[in-house]
Amino acid sequence: MLTLTSPIDTWAHRLPAGPKLASLCGFTMLLFALNAPASLTLAAVFTTALIASGGHSFAGQSALMLRPLLPFVLIVALWHLILRDPSGITIILRMITAVAAANFVTMTTRLSDMISVLQRFARPLARLISPRSLALAIALTIRFVPTMLARAQSLGESWRARSPSRPRWRIFLPLTLAALDDADHVAEALRARGGTD
Amino acid sequence: MSNGITLDKTSVTLAGRVILSDLSLRLTEARIGIIGRNGSGKTTLLRLIAGLIPATSGRITIDGFAPTDRKAILPRLGILFQNPDHQILFPTVGEELAFGLRQMGQSQTQAEAAARDLLAAEGRRHWFDANTHSLSQGQRHYLCLLSVLLMAPRTILLDEPFAGLDLPTQARLARRLSALPQRLITISHDPAAVAQCDRILWLESGRIQADGPAAEILPAFTTAMAQIGERDADTDLAD
Amino acid sequence: MEKNLAHIALFAALIAVLGLVPKIDLASGVPITAQSLGIMLCGTVLGAKRGALAVLLFLTLTLAGLPLLSGGRGGLGLLASPTVGYIIGFPMAAFTAGLITTHLKTGIGYAATIGAALGGILLLNAVGVLGMSVMLDKSLPEAALLAAPFLVGDSIKAVLAGAITQAIAKMRPEALLSRA
Ligand SMILES: Nc1ncnc2c1ncn2[C@@H]1O[C@H](COP(=O)(O)OP(=O)(O)OP(=O)(O)O)[C@@H](O)[C@H]1O
Ligand SMILES: [Mg+2]
Repeated sequence: MLTLTSPIDTWAHRLPAGPKLASLCGFTMLLFALNAPASLTLAAVFTTALIASGGHSFAGQSALMLRPLLPFVLIVALWHLILRDPSGITIILRMITAVAAANFVTMTTRLSDMISVLQRFARPLARLISPRSLALAIALTIRFVPTMLARAQSLGESWRARSPSRPRWRIFLPLTLAALDDADHVAEALRARGGTD
Repeated sequence: MSNGITLDKTSVTLAGRVILSDLSLRLTEARIGIIGRNGSGKTTLLRLIAGLIPATSGRITIDGFAPTDRKAILPRLGILFQNPDHQILFPTVGEELAFGLRQMGQSQTQAEAAARDLLAAEGRRHWFDANTHSLSQGQRHYLCLLSVLLMAPRTILLDEPFAGLDLPTQARLARRLSALPQRLITISHDPAAVAQCDRILWLESGRIQADGPAAEILPAFTTAMAQIGERDADTDLAD
Repeated sequence: MEKNLAHIALFAALIAVLGLVPKIDLASGVPITAQSLGIMLCGTVLGAKRGALAVLLFLTLTLAGLPLLSGGRGGLGLLASPTVGYIIGFPMAAFTAGLITTHLKTGIGYAATIGAALGGILLLNAVGVLGMSVMLDKSLPEAALLAAPFLVGDSIKAVLAGAITQAIAKMRPEALLSRA
């Protein structure tokens, strides 16, 4: 499956995931502690430099990943313009910087590395869910997303082949039933090869 | 006593309907075929033997062990599902192959090495990192067979192993299967696919209609199917 | 055990798929994604605990870097964005929806609709709005204004969740783990 890890190899791809996540934590906490526009600007410049160090297309990708923030930027900007309140700049700057820094870590860390860090975090929960079950559940979900997506598409096609209208919400029930059926089959296939634990 | 599969007055009821009734069998031959019409209970019988569904009554043993004893069963019994999409659990071929060996107690490194060796022997080295989702139907079927073979169980249950495969692949698979030292129990609705078996079970509405050597059972089956086909071609799928 | 694990994993995938299918014009031209319908169904079909675990699994994969959140979003940036409250609220919503579906002794359809509405609309938006208010430095009513336009779609989804759960209860009663 497509991940958000950037295929454009940067120096940061070669750093281990654990320390990267720890630094991100520290940096984000710092961002939310800072209030002076000057120090926030500094943090923003630092983050921009970090992203720019990945090169042209890498920076382009990171900019695209900020798109979901656009409505919020517009709303906050408009709001503070009307009220003539300059604190809007602080809010926007902090939001974009924090998200961009987090995206930088996501874009430079392989999914499997990220998951193994998460599993290390989850180790204290071993009593609740064993590390092996967690790994299995993760693999199963990754395996079935494309399969179920293809199913959703073919359900839609099968609908349109026999109806002039679009299926809209009507595919949700068969899709949910398919998920339940798949779960039964998976449970059986797991059992056939030794089950869990 | 401890070698082979025995069923002792076994019945299975699913959702209130009797699907298999009162089967008593002792299966020791190296090649066994199960034939029967759609819905006659072939898959249910296989799932029962594999310990995937419990018997409603009666007793089953696999080389002397109960099907619920999963640890003991794994090296003794493997099953190839009718639909490969119901069998594949992992996003990549390598993970799919390694899983069974991990379940049998091997380390991750050992399991992956064994998976790579098998793929290399099959001339499919490049499959290791391939996405299971993007394999074709026939390739997925083949992958399922490989992952069962890798666990090297003493008995392998095969549910319609040739369905959906093109002719060259069928021939290749048939050759591959006939060379295996293991006991094979093969389900098929196609008499030709089980013609080489030592013993044929013909299942009809959850009961054994006939049981004996292929040369005796298969012609009778073919004749009966042809008669049914002429008589009520339309009501075939009524159930 | 295998059964629980399989249901949790498959419903995590279902949430993802419902967020990835193209936006659907519900009724008349309100484009919405069905992702929160998936969250609701986790609770109403699988029950509180399994439903919440399915959502947590989905979020784990999303945060780890799979673009499975509607609109192809994913990654750690979600935790720093104004919508973080919704991320935190998702498992709580599924848990609540499941709890209500299991324990409300009305017909399954009503119980699931009410569960989906209380968990997937009321609680989810409460946590979501709280998040926006903190991240955007706005008062709660101001932040609530941002969430308001989505309530129409949300209500339709709660009704759909109820209807789908009821249909499953009828067609596949043994599969409805929330009432097992
Ligand atoms: N989970 C189930 N619940 C209820 N009935 C079932 C279930 N699985 C199978 N059956 C019923 O049991 C009967 C036998 O099914 P089975 O799958 O064993 O047939 P089969 O011989 O393998 O058929 P085919 O050749 O089509 O694969 C069918 O009538 C089917 O409807
Ligand atoms: Mg069958």
